[in-house]
Amino acid sequence: MATRTPGDALAHPIAGSAAKRVPGRGHTRSAVLFLAPFGLLFTAMLLAPIGYAVYQSFFRTHRSGLGLGPSTTVFAGFDNYVTALHDSRFMSSFLRVFTLGIVQVPVMLGLALLLALLLDSRGAVFKKFFRQIYFLPYALPGVIAAIMWSFLYAPSVSPFTAALRHVGLEVNFLSGDLVLASIGNMMTWAWTGFNMLIIYSALQAIPGELTEAAVMDGCSGWRVAWHVKIPAVRPALILTTVFSIIGTAQLFNEPAVLSQVAPTVSPTYTPILATQQSADINNYNYAATQSVILALLTFVLSFGFLKFTQRKGTFA
Amino acid sequence: MLAVASLVTLSACSGSGDSGGSSSGGKPVTVEFWGAAVGLDKSVALWNKSHPDIKVKYSQIPAGSIGGYAKMQNAVKAGNAPCLGQVGYDTLSNFIATGALEDIHEYADASKDKFVPWTWQMSSVGDRVFGIPVDTGPMAMYYRTDLFKKYKISPPKTWDDFAAAAQKVHSANPSAYLTTTPQDAYDLGALTWQAGGKWFGTANDRWQVTIDNPQTSKVAQYWQGLLDKKLVTSDPMLDTAWFKKVQDGQLLSLVSAVWAAPLISKNLPELSGKWAVAPMPQWSAGQKAAGNRGGSATVVLKGCEHPKEATEFATWMSTDSDSVTSLIKNTGIYPAATSGQQLPAVDQPSAYFGGQNIYDVFKTAAANTSTGWVWGPTMSQVQSDMKDGLKKAGAGQGTIPKTVTSVQDSTVAAMKSQGLSVGK
Repeated sequence: MATRTPGDALAHPIAGSAAKRVPGRGHTRSAVLFLAPFGLLFTAMLLAPIGYAVYQSFFRTHRSGLGLGPSTTVFAGFDNYVTALHDSRFMSSFLRVFTLGIVQVPVMLGLALLLALLLDSRGAVFKKFFRQIYFLPYALPGVIAAIMWSFLYAPSVSPFTAALRHVGLEVNFLSGDLVLASIGNMMTWAWTGFNMLIIYSALQAIPGELTEAAVMDGCSGWRVAWHVKIPAVRPALILTTVFSIIGTAQLFNEPAVLSQVAPTVSPTYTPILATQQSADINNYNYAATQSVILALLTFVLSFGFLKFTQRKGTFA
Repeated sequence: MLAVASLVTLSACSGSGDSGGSSSGGKPVTVEFWGAAVGLDKSVALWNKSHPDIKVKYSQIPAGSIGGYAKMQNAVKAGNAPCLGQVGYDTLSNFIATGALEDIHEYADASKDKFVPWTWQMSSVGDRVFGIPVDTGPMAMYYRTDLFKKYKISPPKTWDDFAAAAQKVHSANPSAYLTTTPQDAYDLGALTWQAGGKWFGTANDRWQVTIDNPQTSKVAQYWQGLLDKKLVTSDPMLDTAWFKKVQDGQLLSLVSAVWAAPLISKNLPELSGKWAVAPMPQWSAGQKAAGNRGGSATVVLKGCEHPKEATEFATWMSTDSDSVTSLIKNTGIYPAATSGQQLPAVDQPSAYFGGQNIYDVFKTAAANTSTGWVWGPTMSQVQSDMKDGLKKAGAGQGTIPKTVTSVQDSTVAAMKSQGLSVGK
C-alpha cells in the first residue's frame, strides 16, 4: 500500500531544531515512564519485524534430491542479495519505478503548489469548496480508485478511448508504451490534493505582514508568489517530496489492479509486487531480501534528498 | 492424574479444536476444512448430519491461483493451518516440497482401490500419500450450436479443422472469433497433455524438466499461428468479459474441462439449448486423445491434530454416493472415485445442453486421458511465469513459443536455486 502518512522520524529533521533542555533527574524518570508504552510498541511493531526480515534474508531453504523430504534452512550469507542484484526482473522494476518517479513527482508537486497558490491568492472564490474538491480523490480508498481507473482505461469500455476514436485517434491506455504514463496519471490524480493541502497549510502560516510588505513594494500577484510565498513553503515542499519518494517506491495498488486488465503489467512490475510474488511462490527468504533492499534504497533516496536540500539551504 | 488434568486444560485452550480422538468417547473432534470450490459446504453439511463424533467446520477461501494457496501456505508457516485443504493436483508437489502436508498413508492406504489409479498417483509419492483425490478434469469442446449452424461449420474433428473453422467464422463476421488463446500454464499444460508431451518427470533421484518438449512446441506454434493471423482473441476465459462476448455472439467455442459446464449454464442462462459438447479436436484424424485440466485432492495440512479423522472425512467426501452426487450437481466435478463415475448423476441428459448427455463425452475423454503426467515442485512459479508470458504474447509482445522456452529456463533456475537436483 502506498502510505504517505507523516512519520515522526521523517518529520523531525524538517521541523527544525527543537528547544534544547537539560532535564533533571525527576524529569528523566517520568519521561521514561511516558515513553515506555511508545518504546514498547515501537520495538514490537517496527523494530522487531525489521530485524526479523533482515535475519530471514540471510537464510535460504535448502532441499535436496527431489525435494520431497523435509527441507532445511541454511545460512546463506549474502547469497540472496547477490541473487536479487542479478535478478533482471527485480532490477528492472526499480528502473521502471525510478523513471516514473522522476517524471511524476515533480509534475504532481508542481500541480499541488499551483493549486495551493491559487487557493491562497486574494481573488480566490469558494476556497473551501475547491479545497474539498481537490482533496476528494485522496479520500477515496486507493484500491477503489484503481478499479475505477482500470475501467476508464480498458479499451472496450473506456470513454476516453471512445472519445479519441471520434476524432480519429486510436489510443490504448494500457499498451506497453502508455501504461506507465497511465499509472502516473492515476497517482497524480490521487495524491495532488493531499500534497496541496500540506502546502496550502504552510501558505496559511506565512505572516500577513510579509506579503503585505511585498505588495506595498509594488510586487504583482505572481511575483509575491515567486519571491515570498514559495521560499516560505520550502519546508513543506521538501516534506511532500520525501513523502512522494517513499510512496512511489512502494507503488502497489495501481499496477496490482491494472495487471488484471493490462497484459503488459507483469507480476513483478514494481519492487513491492516483485516481493509479493516471491512470497506467493513460497520463497520467503528471498521476499525478505527484496524487502530489505527496497527499504534501503528508499532510505537512501529520501535521506539523500533531505541532505541535498539541507546543504543547498546553507547557501541560500 | 494431575498430568491428565493439565493435558485436558491445555488442549481446551489450544483453540484449534477439542481434545482427544474420537475413540476417547466424550466430546466430538472438530476438523477444520478450507476449500475454494462452490458446493463443498453442502457435502460438509451432509457429513455433519450423519457423523456426530467428528465435526467438520468448513471455510470458503479464494481459489488457489488468486490467493488461496498462499493463504494455506502462510497458515502452515504460522502454525495455525486448518486440518484439511483443497489443492489441485498441479500444485500438490509444490505443497509437498514446502513440507506443508502430512503423510496420511496409514489412514488412506485402504482406500486406494476406490480411485482411478492416476489420480491416486497424483496424490502420492512412492509409499507416502498426501491427499484423497476428489475429481478430475476431462476436457472437451463446448460450442454454440446456433452459431455453428449460422456460419455453416460442423464441430472440428482435428486441430487443422479447428483452424479452418476459425478462419471461416472470422471471415464471415470480422467481430466474431471461434475461441481464445491458452491463458496460463494449466491451459497449455492440458493441451500438451493431450498431444502426448510431458513437462516433468523424475529419474535417478533427479527432476527432469521438459517444458519445451516437441509436443508443447507444436501446441505453442499452432496457437501463435492463429494469433498471428488474428483468427483468435486473447481474452481470459470464463470471466465477465468472456461471458459478455459469448452473449454477443463474438465467441463461439471453448476447449475446457467438465467443470466449465455449470459455469457456462449459470452465467449464461438465456443461452439454454444453444450449446453442445463435442470431443476436443485431435492432432491427427482418427485419434481419441483427451487432455485433463484441473482436478484436485483433499489434503491434510501440516500440524493437523486429528489426521485420522480428517482422512476419514476426506475419503467419505470423495466416495460417499450422496456426497459425490451433491458435488457433481453443485460443483460440476467429474469424480475421481470409480464408484462415483457410475452414479446416475453423471449419466443424465442436460436441458441446458439441448438434451445432450454431455457426460458421455467426458466419460470417453476421461478414459482416453494418458496417465503418466507429472507436475513439478515449483508450479506456483511455472504458472506465474507462463501466465505472464502468455498474456504478453496475446498482446503482441513476444510469442507463445518464446514463452515456453523462457519458462523452461526460469523453471530449471528456480528449482536449482532451491537445491533440487535437476538433470537427465
